[in-house]
Parts: sequence; structure tokens; C-alpha cells
Amino acid sequence: MSFPHKYNRTHRGLIAVIFATIAITLAGCTHQSATQSTTLYERLGGQGTIDTVVENLLYRIADDLEVVVFFANTNIDLFAESLASQLCDVSDGPCRYEGPPMGRAHQHMGLTDAHFNRLVEHLDAAMQAQGIALGARNELLGRLAPMYADVMRLQ
Amino acid sequence: MMLFQSMFSPPTAPFRHSLSGYLAPCLAVCLAFAAATSSAGSRIVGTGGVSAIEGAAGGGLSPWAVLTSTASEQEIGVTAAATRAWVDDYRLTVTGASLNVYDRIEVSVARQTLDLDTLGGELGQDIYGAKVRLLGDVLYHPWGIWSVGMQHKQLIDGTIPTALGADKTSGTDVYLSASKLLFSAVAGRNVLLNATLRNTNANQGGLLGFGGEQRSRSWMAEGSVGVFITPQWVVGAEYRQKPDNLIVAKEDDWQSLYNAYFFNKHLSLTGAWLNLGDIAGLPSQRGGYLSLQAAF
Ligand code: HEM
Ligand code: HEM
Repeated sequence: MSFPHKYNRTHRGLIAVIFATIAITLAGCTHQSATQSTTLYERLGGQGTIDTVVENLLYRIADDLEVVVFFANTNIDLFAESLASQLCDVSDGPCRYEGPPMGRAHQHMGLTDAHFNRLVEHLDAAMQAQGIALGARNELLGRLAPMYADVMRLQ
Repeated sequence: MMLFQSMFSPPTAPFRHSLSGYLAPCLAVCLAFAAATSSAGSRIVGTGGVSAIEGAAGGGLSPWAVLTSTASEQEIGVTAAATRAWVDDYRLTVTGASLNVYDRIEVSVARQTLDLDTLGGELGQDIYGAKVRLLGDVLYHPWGIWSVGMQHKQLIDGTIPTALGADKTSGTDVYLSASKLLFSAVAGRNVLLNATLRNTNANQGGLLGFGGEQRSRSWMAEGSVGVFITPQWVVGAEYRQKPDNLIVAKEDDWQSLYNAYFFNKHLSLTGAWLNLGDIAGLPSQRGGYLSLQAAF
């Protein structure tokens, strides 16, 4: 490994900018929830909006032939309620998700990454349809993304 | 190696660069319209990056760990790209295509042509690339996505590079790359980080041959940061460290400020400002960059 000693001012400048950006970025990451005075739940629009997002999501699922098959034996009312309480919980709202852990809720469904991606797209589209701001959408998606490992664990 | 070389037989010289320069974007647009009716891969828009100048999925200057197109598990994706860069004394044209199989393996081909506007003449090379996703996912995995790749490069005419002191007229780069999207990291916007470590003997990416009097192979670091202003629009910077093997032609690191817009999963347009430093004895090469990619 060798680093040539040939950086001029511009080079050093750009490297510095890049690393500063990364540093700010990472700091912003850990800082975000601490400094935000309002919760993500409030920025999403509270329970009313979360419920309409879930309903909107259900219509999108119902129209997606590749995804709807997984719900053939599901009680949709219970699912909607359970998902809404989870979104409320995850976004620091006044609820506690009391359903089964994500691994067990999705076990042996035969889900692939493709199904997962489609659901993420439907959820984001549903949030967009309810006029939720990009920042809040990104943050909710960011809190759901790490659940990938659990959801896919028992496939 | 054998497999994809026979799949994409290298274009045997007779097609003229000026022609290919116009044909490729035209082809890309036609294919994009054709593709608008076909279904795209299921990965989220933008997660395949764009086509880097060596054909692999990446930014403009450097490959990223993500695999081309939006193909996921059990899906296949194909991309075609046309790229042009203008700096003070040179003009680079790249046409390339790549294939993603099951979001596990990427193979790519690219032809680079460098017009020596000031010196006269042109340099060219063909690049055959392969990339394998080792683990992870750019969105869902806590460590992001990790891939290894290689790029085999073959000069079309080695006369000028050899005269400048290059050892060889072909060479192979290998690299390890990691990419990760940080959700809601800056002002609620998602940020894409990428780092690549490359082992190479290529001079100016290979256009000035491989190896030289000062050194043969070395490890080089490349990195980029991009902010998704919207889910379809990413703005960022790239940095690519370069070797300096030739005594007569000092070589500098490359950097860019880029801006990529994903119209949808099928079509993206990238614009960039480049600072490529000294190239073949001509100092401080700066200029612009445009790249169009179509994916199916
Ligand atoms: C909230 C809006 C919804 C309404 C108004 C609705 C309404 C209906 C109706 C009227 C049927 C036809 C029933 C029949 O054939 O007897 C049906 C069937 C079905 N729906 Fe929904 N649905 C909704 C949401 C969903 C969602 C979100 C899913 C899946 C996630 C879903 C999955 C299904 C399936 C799998 C069938 C076929 C059932 C069968 O084969 O017997 N529906 N739905
Ligand atoms: C981060 C991603 C996901 C989250 C947070 C999530 C969340 C949930 C929750 C809270 C429930 C209700 C559990 C219960 O109360 O029984 C549920 C059930 C379900 N989920 Fe997911 N889910 C995710 C991904 C997916 C994907 C990708 C699919 C398939 C395309 C899927 C299909 C289902 C089905 C079919 C059920 C109903 C299971 C049953 O009938 O008992 N989920 N999910």
C-alpha cells in the first residue's frame, strides 16, 4: 500500500470536503432523534394518518398479484390493526406493538427480496399519497429497514 | 472469463468510433422506450447506481458495490450506457453494457475511446468486467453491501502508451467495494456512502497502458458520498486515487462532483464536473461529463 505524495491544494480540499460531509452525516444520524423536538409519529401525522396509510397500503397490496397471494388466509382487519400499531410504536407514538415477533409473523411464507422490495415501494407510495414529507418517509423507512433480517430469518 | 468473453465477443475493430458515439445513445434511447413496457427489477429506484466509465455499476469514476440495474433475487437485468466527457485537451467516449444475474453476479463490457484533441490521434481500450456480491444489501443490511470485482483491459493500439514507457498493453484490476445507504441522514435525506479498494497497474485507467518505470502494481483507494435530494435525484462527489507509473507523464488523482437523475427504473442521466489533473503531459484537465443509461 503506498500513497503518492502528490496532492495539491485542490485535492486536499476536496478530500477534506468529502470527509467532513461523511462526518457530519454520521453525526447527524446519531443526533437526529435526540435533537428533534417532535416525534416521528407526530411528523407522520399521528394515528389518523397512519391508519389511512395502512388502508392505502392494503389497496396497493390487493392490486399486486405477486404480493396479494401471501394474504390469502389472512384476517385483513387484524393485520391492518396490528401493522398500524407497529408503525405507531416504531415511530415513537403512544402505542405498543403486541403482535408476534417479525420472524414468527412471516415464517415459511417463501418471501424473497423481490417481495420485500415491492412492499417497501407500496408503503412509500402509500405515505406519499397521504402527503407525508420526504424526511419523515425516509426516517420511517430507515427504522423499518433493519427489520429485514427478522422478517426474512425463517423463510 | 471464457464464458462472458464468448457471450460478448469484443467488437472487432472495423466499426468507427465516431459512428459508435452516435449509435450508442440512439440505441439506448430506443431500448429505453422498448423497455418502458417491460417490467423492471424489483429493487428500489437508484439502488443500481449508474454506469461508471469502466462499465461496472457505480458512480462516474469509480465502481460501487451495488450491482447494475434493479434486478433482485430470481430476476435478471440488462443495462446499456453511453458516456461522454470533455476536458481541456481530451474527449472521452464510452459505450458499454452490463448484465445482472439474480443480484449476485454482474458482467460488463465497455469500449473507451479517448480523442487527443490537442495532441492529435486517439487511444482506445476494451474492458471486460465481472463483479460478485459477497454479502448484504445497500438498504437493509447493517453493514451495507460488499462486492469484489475485476476488470480486464485491452488496449486497441498500444503504440503511444508503449512509447511513453508503459510495460504492457493489457492489464487486470481487482477491487473490493462496499456501499451503504444511510436513511434520513442529512436534513431528512438519505445518504449513499461508497468505498472501493483497487489493485491496479493501469496508467490513466489503462488508456496509457499498464505498468511503467516507476512502479508496476499498487493499491488505490476510491470513495464517494451522495445525497438523495429526492428519491430520484442524487448529488455528490467522487474521489479516485491513481498510481503514477510513467516518468514522462505525471498522473493525478481524479475527482468529480456529480448529479444523477433517475427518470424511472429504466432511464437515468448523469452530469458531472470533472477534475482529472495532468494527463499525458498536459496539465490540469477539467471539464464536463454526461452519461445516459437505459435499464431493462
Ligand atoms: C380494504 C380494502 C379491501 C376490500 C374492500 C376488499 C374487498 C374484497 C372483495 C369484495 C373480495 C371478493 C370476495 C369474494 O370473492 O367473495 C375480496 C377478495 C380477496 N381479497 Fe380483498 N379487499 C380489500 C383488501 C384486501 C387486501 C389488503 C388483501 C390482501 C392483503 C386482500 C386480499 C384478498 C384476497 C386474497 C381475496 C380473494 C379471496 C378468495 O380467493 O376467496 N383484500 N376482497
Ligand atoms: C419491514 C417489513 C415488514 C414489516 C414491518 C411487517 C409487519 C407486519 C406485521 C406487524 C404483521 C402483523 C403480525 C400479526 O399481528 O400477526 C405482519 C403480517 C404479515 N406480513 Fe408483514 N411486514 C413486513 C414485511 C412483509 C413482507 C415483505 C410481506 C410479503 C410480501 C409480508 C407479508 C405479511 C403477511 C402475509 C402477514 C399476515 C400473516 C398472517 O396471516 O398471520 N410482510 N407483517
